[in-house]
Amino acid sequence: MGLLSNSATLLGKELRTEFRSRELLTTTIVFILMVVVLFSFTFDPTTAESRRFGPGLLWLAFLFAASLMLQPCFLREQSNDTLSSLRLAVSDPFAIFLAKVGANTLFLMVTELLMLPIFSVLYNVPVLPELPWLILVLFLGSLGISVAGTALSAISAQARMRELLLPLLLLPLLTPVLVASTEVTVGLMDREPIVQWKGIGFLAVFDIVFLTALWLFGEYLLEE
Amino acid sequence: MKNLDSVFAAYVIGWAVFFVFYITVARRTATLRTEIDRLKNSLPAGSKK
Amino acid sequence: MTKRLLLGVVALVLVIASAYASFYIAPEERTMGVIQRIFYFHVASAWAGFSAFLICFVANLLYVWRRDQKYDWLGVSAAEVGLAFTTIVLITGPIWAHPVWGIWWTWDARLTSTFILWLLYVSYLLLRTLVEEPDRRALLSSLFGIFAFLDVPLVFGAIRWWRTQHPSPVIMGGANSGLEPTMKAVFFFSAFAMHVLMVFLVLERYNVEKMSDEVDVLRRELETA
Repeated sequence: MGLLSNSATLLGKELRTEFRSRELLTTTIVFILMVVVLFSFTFDPTTAESRRFGPGLLWLAFLFAASLMLQPCFLREQSNDTLSSLRLAVSDPFAIFLAKVGANTLFLMVTELLMLPIFSVLYNVPVLPELPWLILVLFLGSLGISVAGTALSAISAQARMRELLLPLLLLPLLTPVLVASTEVTVGLMDREPIVQWKGIGFLAVFDIVFLTALWLFGEYLLEE
Repeated sequence: MKNLDSVFAAYVIGWAVFFVFYITVARRTATLRTEIDRLKNSLPAGSKK
Repeated sequence: MTKRLLLGVVALVLVIASAYASFYIAPEERTMGVIQRIFYFHVASAWAGFSAFLICFVANLLYVWRRDQKYDWLGVSAAEVGLAFTTIVLITGPIWAHPVWGIWWTWDARLTSTFILWLLYVSYLLLRTLVEEPDRRALLSSLFGIFAFLDVPLVFGAIRWWRTQHPSPVIMGGANSGLEPTMKAVFFFSAFAMHVLMVFLVLERYNVEKMSDEVDVLRRELETA
């Protein structure tokens, strides 16, 4: 299918661009680490509370990091004026979005997975037992963050004060992802871990709704 | 009746919000109306629609 | 011009009448007493605000599809009016909560969701101030408006499912949870009055956009004349 192969090609380009310098990944990881450590100064992270509050703070850190990490998504294209050539190269503009969403989800997941052992050590919360489920919720949550974030990044790139605007637009929009992801993660990190299917289903619905919206309206986001 | 003043406060504040909104809109309307009339009058007679 | 004025007068009469009904026709609620009468104002405003945001959503869709400026005018007008009504919901909520539960903010699911709703549309208006070119502004804000509105049921759903675990005071037991018939009638009348007021305010605000555009057109004409 033309769409998938185009997306795959563009995804490759996104990944190659990032892995050449790795600046986005490294700065994001360091940022999340700083946020998590700073959060830990605001309460006692070794008590039972950390199981209840820790996941929420972790997801909040991911959200903040994402709203910074997604800034260059379309700004990079703007500064080199590569967007018009991208649009000429593909028949379906959704391919461009799929590629960027894929790349952003991947980047987010890499930073999250690197953060997980550190979080586990700092907050004394075991992550190995439920790792597959954790990866699932990280994926669904990160996908939601990426879809909304990529779309809004295309919007904010065309406005003034874009560094402040993107978080401003993105954070209220992602409230459902924050709530659902936190709840599922709390369930997984509990003394008796449970899998909250409601939350996982909800995240899947969020992802589908916004992917569909991006598919329907993506081309207008890229209009010159 | 206790709490009656709270109820009154709620209604008064609510109506105040609507009132302020409406007054702001009405003032802008009036300013625009005078501006439109001014512009229409300064158009040369031949190009008036 | 006179049609709008007539609508305004009708709206005013209806709102005053609904206030009267809230105080003198609706019976007093057993557990909360007189403070409960805020309900007619608070919930009616919430419904009218939401309807305004719905109008904004439809206007946004129509703009993206048709690219007619008028839809952008309607969108921004509906968003501002919706925000006014939602602000009232957020103000009257704590005024209701404080005498009853002793705290200003109760993290009631609906109120919290309304807060997010408020933030989303504040962002919508903020976005508009940051894009100068009118067509681009209309397109970008319409697209954000669409995403924001699609998000709303997800926000309400998530908060309702997972943030009502702790026993938190519920400000309204739901408009249809065993409301006595007279109360129901007064409520629906209040909701109707608020909707008429909402439509009036949207039309007035729309007119400002329309006249603003007329000024621009005349100015351009003046330059070329």
